[in-house]
Amino acid sequence: MQQVPAIIQWMQNSDIGTGIRESVWTFPLVETTHVLALAISVGVLIWFDLRLLGWGMKHQPISQIHRQIMPYAVFGFIVMFVTGVLLFWSEAEKCYLSGFFRAKVLFLFLAAINAIIFEFKTKKTIEQWDKYPIPPVKARLAGWMSIISWAAVIIAGRATAYNLF
Amino acid sequence: MHFLLPIFKWADTSWMGETIRASRFYFPIIETFHLLALTLLFGAILMLNLRLCGLMMKNLPVQQVAKDLSPWLLWSLAIILVSGLMLFSSEAMKCYASVPFQVKMVFLFTAIAFHFTIYRSVTKSEREPRRWFGVIVAVVSVVLWLGVGLGGRGIGFL
Repeated sequence: MQQVPAIIQWMQNSDIGTGIRESVWTFPLVETTHVLALAISVGVLIWFDLRLLGWGMKHQPISQIHRQIMPYAVFGFIVMFVTGVLLFWSEAEKCYLSGFFRAKVLFLFLAAINAIIFEFKTKKTIEQWDKYPIPPVKARLAGWMSIISWAAVIIAGRATAYNLF
Repeated sequence: MHFLLPIFKWADTSWMGETIRASRFYFPIIETFHLLALTLLFGAILMLNLRLCGLMMKNLPVQQVAKDLSPWLLWSLAIILVSGLMLFSSEAMKCYASVPFQVKMVFLFTAIAFHFTIYRSVTKSEREPRRWFGVIVAVVSVVLWLGVGLGGRGIGFL
């Protein structure tokens, strides 16, 4: 076994980590909640991204879709994040050593940076292109970045459990 | 012997099932596509249901929202069904013995039947559905699709 940092070892061996890992029901329940929250969060977020690309919901102003979707996306994200931390806690060593898990964290950061840039920069001029069926390049780019990074998060997340490499 | 057993046995020994089983990479890869399409489908269903409940895009008729979402919904469903059949064929005998799989199939067939009958007629109708009726239809739809997801996740655990 490779060496892991003390904090990872501590998480792995803590009561919470061991409790979830060795439980009959807790791990599957937390995992199932994680996946369902993902389907809700990313599932609706993708529709905002598709709107940004000009591929779906073209009849709806972008700002309106944004306002209506975000509460569900954020709610789903919070559930996903909390259950995700618990899952990590229970398999801290495995996750830490997994190349897929590291890739997943990387893409999560990418998704976050993309969201921050959109919220604080790109969105400033939204008044001008709100009703365009196909918004300007910078908005479409944000849509692509979001779709790609979230798809990568899902792919890498699923692969973490299989430990193929 | 259950009357469906021959179908499971046939799937289990089929060329596709054996091919997928032969590699340790095929199953995870196919499952990933299954999961990505599931996210898309569930998102589309959720959006339309939120509209039915009057919680989103109230300025557009239900019919219009359904029309926008429909191609995505059908394509993602097609990908889910095809990838699902592939996954099934690779572990058909495990599925045969799996209670979550049975639960999933009951929910799946009910969800599809509901979707292409009552749900379709409500969301394709020129007339806006009554609020309470829209809410009931939306709740039934979400519960049925959630059941499919829960059962599906359960196959891997039990």
